[in-house]
Amino acid sequence: MPKTITEQNLHHLIDALLAEGVRVIGPKRADALTIYAPLANGEELDLDQLPRRSAKEAFFPPCETILSFEKRDGKITVSDPDLNRLPETVLIGVRPCDAVAPGILDAVFSWDYDDPFYLERRKRTTIIGIACTSADDACFCTAVGCSPDARKGSDLFLVPLQGGGFVVEAMDGKGSALKARYEALLATSGSAQPLPLAVPAVDSLDLEKIRTWLAGNFEHPLWQEIASRCAGCGACAFLCPACHCFDIVDEGGEAGGCRRKHWDACGFGKFTMHASAHNPRDVQPQRYRNRIMHKFKYYADKFNQTLCTGCGRCIRWCPVGIDIKAVLDEINKK
Amino acid sequence: MAALGRHRACPYKGTNYMTVNNQNIDTSPLVDPACYAAATAAIRAEAARLFETGEVTAVVGYRAGRRAGTVMPEVAVTAEAAAQLIFSPGCQNNLTLFLSKAKRDALPKGKVAIVVKGCDLRALAGLIGESQLKRDEVHVIGVACPGVYGAAADHSRPLTADSAAKKCRECKVHLPEGVDLVAGTLPELKELPPLEAQELARLEAMTPQERWAFWTEQFSRCIRCLACRQVCPFCFCTQCLCDRNRPQAVDTSPRPAGNTAWHLVRAMHLAGRCSGCAECERVCPMDIPLNLLNRKMAQELYELYGFEAGTQPQEQGALTSYRDDDDESFIK
Repeated sequence: MPKTITEQNLHHLIDALLAEGVRVIGPKRADALTIYAPLANGEELDLDQLPRRSAKEAFFPPCETILSFEKRDGKITVSDPDLNRLPETVLIGVRPCDAVAPGILDAVFSWDYDDPFYLERRKRTTIIGIACTSADDACFCTAVGCSPDARKGSDLFLVPLQGGGFVVEAMDGKGSALKARYEALLATSGSAQPLPLAVPAVDSLDLEKIRTWLAGNFEHPLWQEIASRCAGCGACAFLCPACHCFDIVDEGGEAGGCRRKHWDACGFGKFTMHASAHNPRDVQPQRYRNRIMHKFKYYADKFNQTLCTGCGRCIRWCPVGIDIKAVLDEINKK
Repeated sequence: MAALGRHRACPYKGTNYMTVNNQNIDTSPLVDPACYAAATAAIRAEAARLFETGEVTAVVGYRAGRRAGTVMPEVAVTAEAAAQLIFSPGCQNNLTLFLSKAKRDALPKGKVAIVVKGCDLRALAGLIGESQLKRDEVHVIGVACPGVYGAAADHSRPLTADSAAKKCRECKVHLPEGVDLVAGTLPELKELPPLEAQELARLEAMTPQERWAFWTEQFSRCIRCLACRQVCPFCFCTQCLCDRNRPQAVDTSPRPAGNTAWHLVRAMHLAGRCSGCAECERVCPMDIPLNLLNRKMAQELYELYGFEAGTQPQEQGALTSYRDDDDESFIK
């Protein structure tokens, strides 16, 4: 029999996890803004809005220290962060467009080099996904192979029910273990029906056709047409669940400091700047082209996956109204 | 439809899953939407004339996006493209962004026309004052603008008292002056509470410690996407101090030290130059109220030097000129 949990017991689950020293990250509201943040108690979980930033930061934070250095009495010491101190984490209330992304990123973070920072966090995190029952006109998950009830990426999956509460489904061993551990908070399913799914009202896309078009149109007037307006900020990349570029910087002073890894974006003018001052992508349309190529061609060629989940954040937040779905529609028509 | 981003008017108030509470939202249109249609028609007619006479090589304006009510900047280089230009409450962008020397390299050579609101016109005057362009290099189509959406507005609905941008609530330049053509006519406008002035007053009433706590909290959300810099018409430096790494002036990582330094450097570099278009605040994906800093700077400049960003180009900025009677009381 399927198991269900009430909203109140979901809050109790969070409280119980916190009591055991587990870090719980979920959508949390601060003023009008909802972001994924460590929850202090179950009541803080706010499932009303899609968080402004994606859930990737649970594995790939905006900034992290990868080593630190110190100079004392003429001696220099360099130390690595202790990854064993990364906390066991439950990431809760993750909609499918965010939950599928870590699975896509695993490929690149364990390709030619196993990134210990990303992979350790992945190992220590359980994802509790939730079926999506509210979409807006920027959402297009179904056009890129995701869906409002995609279970992929979730260890445990919640399906909101009419009248409140959720069906609880374990998707893998991690999810089953968590479900078994808190069996007492669950009930046997009654007659309540699931809330209707939020299926975005969008035209479908033929991703294979788009990939083929991209392969033959590195040079095309479309790039200028779309991206001459691009302002060159990193809002699209930083809010994206799948963008994963980073820069490495040394910060600090003579006495000591840190080497840090922080988010970077191919829209930035300096992203491809060489030490010689030559810049192979010296105008904005070339940078925007890279964004599309990377998501729908290069990553697909290399890892057989699309680097886009259709969450719509880049559309909602582009300062100049560039709409990736409109761009893909345009290519799809060619 | 649900509130996923700022393009929805945040209808969710309660903590219940997916419950909607629309009771507090004023949905009556602020002005007759026909006034935007009239401005659109006037812009299109002028653009058609300009292409026909060959006066300009491009018209920088606005066109509709895929989603209802959304808009994007458009550089129209043909009469056909110019026939698609619009004016609507979604026309938030300050298009003078595209007129700095560096950005103009991407535009066709020759004279260009640009669509500006009264608030944008101040930026145009500032850019001319800073020798980024000459007045006769640009044909200015000013719009009689009743107001545009704020960052959190629902683009699919008419402009309302709730969805109007904060800057529009205190706007004194609905009708642009000194332009080559005024598109549209201004309807009668309602008086709206000056939310931003109220918020600035609230901050000024705080103790320095409280204010520091307020900004520390705000800056803690910054992810350094630099949208604020990239949309600013006055952030036209080809080498930003904050991108330098030999030596490094400002930490680039999104942490308290670098975030605070970045936002203070930004505010200081814009003091006496900022036109108050508030684009930096509109585009901030982390909702940091950046225009409060700009506005505070503008207030100081006015009190100290009588300087105000205006619609007429001023060759000497308050901070780039010296007068014997300049107030120096702040030097302690």
